[in-house]
This record gives sequence, structure tokens and C-alpha cells, in this order.
Amino acid sequence: MSTRELKGDIFRWVMMLLSALVLLFIIAPLLGMALKTGRTEFFETVTDRAVIKSIWLTLSVSFAATLIFAVGAIPLAYLMARRTFPGKKIVQGLIDLPVVIPHTAAGIALLGFISRDGFLGNIAGTMGFSLINNPAGTALAMAFVSVPFMINAARDGFAAVPQRLEKAAMSLGASRSRAFFSISVPLAWRSIVSGFVMMFARGMSEFGAVVIVAYHPMTAPVMIYDRFNSFGLTYARPLSLLFVIVALIVFVFFRMISVERKPKPKPDQDA
Amino acid sequence: MLKVNNISKKLGDFNLTDVSLNVSEGDYYVLLGRSGSGKTQLLELIAGLTIPDKGSIFLDNREITFLRPQHRNVGLVFQDFAVFPHMTTFDNIAYPLKVARIANSEIRLKVEKIAGLMNIIPLLDRQTTNLSGGELQRTAIARTLVTSPRLLLLDEPLASIDASLKDDITRLLRSINKAGQTIIHVTHDYSEAIGLASKIGVIHNGKIVQTGAPTEVFSKPVNRFVARYTGIRNFFRTTFKSDSGISTGRTEGGLELTLAGTGYPPNGLLIIRSNNVRLSISDTDKLNTNTFSGRVVEIVATPSGFDIEIDAGDRIFASVPEGDKLLSELREGSDVHINMAPSHLVCLKGT
Repeated sequence: MSTRELKGDIFRWVMMLLSALVLLFIIAPLLGMALKTGRTEFFETVTDRAVIKSIWLTLSVSFAATLIFAVGAIPLAYLMARRTFPGKKIVQGLIDLPVVIPHTAAGIALLGFISRDGFLGNIAGTMGFSLINNPAGTALAMAFVSVPFMINAARDGFAAVPQRLEKAAMSLGASRSRAFFSISVPLAWRSIVSGFVMMFARGMSEFGAVVIVAYHPMTAPVMIYDRFNSFGLTYARPLSLLFVIVALIVFVFFRMISVERKPKPKPDQDA
Repeated sequence: MLKVNNISKKLGDFNLTDVSLNVSEGDYYVLLGRSGSGKTQLLELIAGLTIPDKGSIFLDNREITFLRPQHRNVGLVFQDFAVFPHMTTFDNIAYPLKVARIANSEIRLKVEKIAGLMNIIPLLDRQTTNLSGGELQRTAIARTLVTSPRLLLLDEPLASIDASLKDDITRLLRSINKAGQTIIHVTHDYSEAIGLASKIGVIHNGKIVQTGAPTEVFSKPVNRFVARYTGIRNFFRTTFKSDSGISTGRTEGGLELTLAGTGYPPNGLLIIRSNNVRLSISDTDKLNTNTFSGRVVEIVATPSGFDIEIDAGDRIFASVPEGDKLLSELREGSDVHINMAPSHLVCLKGT
């Protein structure tokens, strides 16, 4: 073996070792949690009505928030991909802001907005309900911190759609909106779905903003925190494990349904 | 039929300036220009994908300058076809019909009819991601023709397909035009224009510098750019003289040329197509008018024969067709006689 080959080999081993350490860092605590959770406690948690209700609330509220915010996030993503306008970088900065600020701070900011004195809270008040400690408030908190994932993924998807395909559609008689729905959206669909999954996953795992806006009804992350705070690690562990499993199943499921269909095998190609 | 009047459009650093063109019913109008000369932008203006800053566009005496693309009845085929990758060939061709809310049964009939004409019926159920360049081109043309546009715009239709398929597509385009379809075809390749055009426009730096019938543009280019663009490679900067009714010229390289006719400027650019430069080895040919001796510098194969570059004081390019007996005698470095008949030497009006 030459010195060069040896160096190449060492490099490869070092890279693999470092990668393995990071992966281990992710897997080890989760695996530890799984191993330390007793079967009986886990079974009790799975059949606990409050737990099931909480997980169902978490999933449904995050899903609803993602679905509702997609209505505005997708057009915004399209504009960010297609248009140049003064202050575009500032708008992009605003979109990314929820990702970089502490989520408790986001929760505080949102609380001011949706409390009875706030703009949105006031409107809700006149309609006879409060957004605080309400699933609607939870949805807003989840959306606030997770909507950038949807916007950015969809934006990248739209940017990858060649503009001339939209122009072709228009030259074939399609209106702008028809070209958007029949060409741009289907071609960016994978990225949009991927953004949807990321937003949904990020929303359901949100704790910081949600706990400030709506401690009750408890979402699963809040319930884990509540159990840990009130009863300690052992009591919080089975619920944590259950929620991790549920999150994994949901994530894998959405990933699977969003995988692109493989093109049919190529027959001969002569014109 | 189509009248483009003094269109100007600023596009970043590039301007289309005062472009006018006239296309009559049934014309095959070839717009010839380098890449970046504004050809595609002009097509997009005619198709309505962009709006001009100034000027107007009329189709069948109806102003369409500011009309949306979908209301113009102008079809545009893009250079890289812009076939929708998430649809089958059928759905691509049916797209404009669906947009126009035509009944499904009628859509099927129309798609099958045009696919028959384009020879792509077996491809109808295929995903377009599996099609070859020629198949994509036919699909794109079918998709545009199915709307029966008054005017068909083709952006470099032969640029993105294999050389072996170019003849096929050229024949197809000619037959579409013969069936009465008015076509504007933009290209950077003058050889495409020769075979297809009934009218040629040459565009350079956002301006149309010459229009006319192909023979006119090719035989009387208005300036060096057009001449070069139409395949001419022999340019001689020449000082002209006229003596008792006979015009002569002396090139920078020292060639003394006898010219046909009179009325030459004191200085100008003299051109001759390389297929009009005659070569011979025999000394007897030396006695003809405008015959010079030179040395072969380079012999380059072309699709139709060979290009011979000769140093005779000036650099002269001659093309010799495949199969010419002379080829067996020509070598790089060998001596050769060059003859340029006065009637083939043309003085450019501009520089």
C-alpha cells in the first residue's frame, strides 16, 4: 500500500468515526430512554385516556395549523421564488426570524398579540372566545415557530421549476393562475409536501411557545414537561417514549407518501 | 398579417431598439442572429409574454401589443421545447384544449389528429421524461399547432436536437408551412435559413439590420456583419479605381482585381462567397481574369466537402465539394491558382 493510499484510508476512517459519534449522540439518549422504560409503565401510559387525548390534540392541532397556514405560505413562497422587489432580503429575514429567536420569547410576543388586549385576542373576544388556553392559540404558537420550514421548502421547490414552463403554459392559453395551479404547483409538489411535513413535525414538537400561550389543554410536549416537573423523570419517561414513537411513525408515514413516483422504464427512444 | 412597428424594449443591460417587421400570410420568416441578439425577446414580445416599452404589434390588423398571451392566437415553441415533465405526451398536447374548456371527446379527436400528422401517436401515453430530443420537439410543435394559431413562432427549433434528426424536423416544418401555416423561426444558423425561409431578417444588437428574400440577403448583404453571418468568409478591404469605364480594386494584401460594373466608392469592403472562389493546379488557368497564385494553408472537412484556406497575400477561403478531382492534388503547403470572377465580387454598401 502506498503512502498516499494509506493517507486516504486514514482519512476515510476518521470521517466515519466522527460521523458515527454524532449519530451515536442522537441515538444513545433515545435508546437509553427506551431501555429504561418498564413495560408496565409504558402500557399504562398507552392506555391513559389523558395521554391519548393529549397526543391526538397535538397531532390534530399541528396538522390543522399547517393546513391553514399553507394557504398563505405557498403564495408567499412562490413570490419569494419568482419576484425581485426592494426589501426582498428583509422579507426573507422576517421569514427566518421565528427559527432564530428563543421560542419562549416567541410565545411571549404571541401572547401579547392574542391576549384580550392584543389585536387578534380582541377580535376573538368580540366573537365570544379566548385564544389563551385554547387549541386555536396552540395552533398559532405552533404555526409561528414552524411556518418558516414550509415557506423555505416550497420556495426552493418553486425556484427549481423552470420559468419557461409557466411561460409555455401562458402562451398555450393558460391564465397566470391556471399556469400556477397546473404547472408550478404540481412540479414543486414534492418540496411543498416536504415543507408541509417539516412544518407539521416541527409544530407538534413545539414546547416553548405553546407552554406560554396555552398550558391547557395540554399538548404532549407540555404534558411531558408537566409530569417531569410534578413527578420526576421516571414518570415523564414513558410518555416521552410514546410521543417519540408516535412522532417517528407520523414522520415516516408522511415521508413515504410524499416520495416521488418513479418514472416508467424507458422504452426505445428513436424519433 | 403580422406587423411589428418600431418596438423598443429594455431588458436589463440589453435593448431591443426600433424593431419593425412585416410578415405576410403563409410566409416562412427566418430571423437570423447571434445568441444574445434579441431574437428570443422579440418572439416573447410577439407572443405576449412581455410587453414592449414602445411601439405596437398588429396581427390581422388588430392591435395585440398589450393583449394577454392567451388572447393573441399566437403559438410559441420554445428552444428547449418546454414540454411539461409531469404530464404524458397526450396531456401535453391536450393542455391548451383543456384550458380552452373543449369537451373531452373532442380533445381526444384533435390530439390524435395532430399526433398523426406529427407521427407521434405511439408516444401519446408515454411520460415525456422518457422522450428523445426529436420526440420532444414534435410534441412541443403538436401542442402548439393543436390550437390552430394564426402565427407559429419557433425559437431555435433545430438547435437542441441531434444532427441526425434535423432533416426530419426541417421537412416537417416545411410541410407545416406548405399547408398554409405562417411561421417565424429564429435561429443563429444561416444554413437553416437557406433551406426554409421565404423571407429573412437579420438581427444584430437588438436591431434588424436587413430584411429580404433569402437570395437578396445572401447575395447582397448590407454590411460586414450580415455578410459574415450569411456564411461569407472572404472580406477584402479594397481601394477602388475607375479608368475609362473599367473598375478595378487593390486589396490590402496587394491583389489587383478587375470588377464588374461601375460606381464603386474610393474605399470599401469587397466580398466573395467561398463557393465562388475557383481553384486549379494547371498553369493554363493563370491567364483568366482575377487569377492569383497562393499557397494552401489549411484544409478542413465540412459536411459538404472541404474548406481550403489559401495565403495569396490576402487570406482567401474556397470551398471544394466532396468528390472534386482537385482534392487529390491539394495538400497543405502546396501551390494553387485562385480565380475570382468579377461578377461574384460584391462591394458592401456599409462596413
